[in-house]
Amino acid sequence: MKKRLLIMNAISMILLSGCSGDGKVTDSDLALLKTTHPPAVLIDKNTKENLDLVQSIEYDVEKMKELYDVAVVKSNGDTLVAYKVKHLQRFHMKKIEKKMTKMLEEKYPDENFIVSSDYKIFIEAVELQEKMKDPKFTDKEAKKKLDKIIKLKNEMT
Amino acid sequence: MSNKANKTPEQMKYEKLEQKHELKRPVLKNCIRAFWVGGLICTVGQAVTYFYIYFFNFTEQTAGNPTVATMIFISMLLTGFGVYDRLGQFAGAGSAVPVTGFGNAVISAAIEHRTEGFVLGVGGNMFKLAGSVILFGVFSAFVVALIKTLLTIWGVI
Repeated sequence: MKKRLLIMNAISMILLSGCSGDGKVTDSDLALLKTTHPPAVLIDKNTKENLDLVQSIEYDVEKMKELYDVAVVKSNGDTLVAYKVKHLQRFHMKKIEKKMTKMLEEKYPDENFIVSSDYKIFIEAVELQEKMKDPKFTDKEAKKKLDKIIKLKNEMT
Repeated sequence: MSNKANKTPEQMKYEKLEQKHELKRPVLKNCIRAFWVGGLICTVGQAVTYFYIYFFNFTEQTAGNPTVATMIFISMLLTGFGVYDRLGQFAGAGSAVPVTGFGNAVISAAIEHRTEGFVLGVGGNMFKLAGSVILFGVFSAFVVALIKTLLTIWGVI
């Protein structure tokens, strides 16, 4: 009995020691657990029009009462809108996606929207926004990362 | 079920005696146990899903497959160690209905028939119980896919 207790203790010590990492916890690490409200990201010419456009897209999406967190990433080709749906509203996921796509396409007909409620896409979008803060992270790399996210979104199985 | 009118007086007497001594099934207690243990297994499954979403390139859509595989693998190991049998005794349907019950059914049949040899014993009897799960699972998936395909062709959905 004592031996078993000792073994259990040793195992729990080994497992818990994994938690003592000194790595900095970023927003993308906690994006699954809490509301992050990431600012909109622009991977395109840094003009006032583009900035206004991306912010207005984020504002319009955030206005939907079924959602509680929105991340928008705009490049010169596609605009990614990742969002988290309130728990009880998750029953109407398809309806919300349809409604949002319709609203966005009507309001911004020139943009090509990729809309996703997937947690993974949201985490990746927040991660991209964090990486954009680093001046060494080039636009080319950012575009590559966005393409990777879009590819991930289109994967079915 | 035999008809009550066909019973002899002795049989009726025995039935009454049986009813007097029969223990009442604790249905509510069983339901509560099944609810908690089943819920606990599903919580572990959800944690495994999040693990795959966080640390690997899986989205919510694609993380289901590796999660199911992992859960079945864990339950197979636990069956081999004799832990899952105790859990099954305690929780009943709570441990049999989730996908982990499938792993348990495969391995317990394999262990039971091990003495009869690897080919005719383990190989022949491994899917004794789980075989029906696979058969009806595949068949119902085929029927649902067929209905969906037809509805898509007809333009209903």
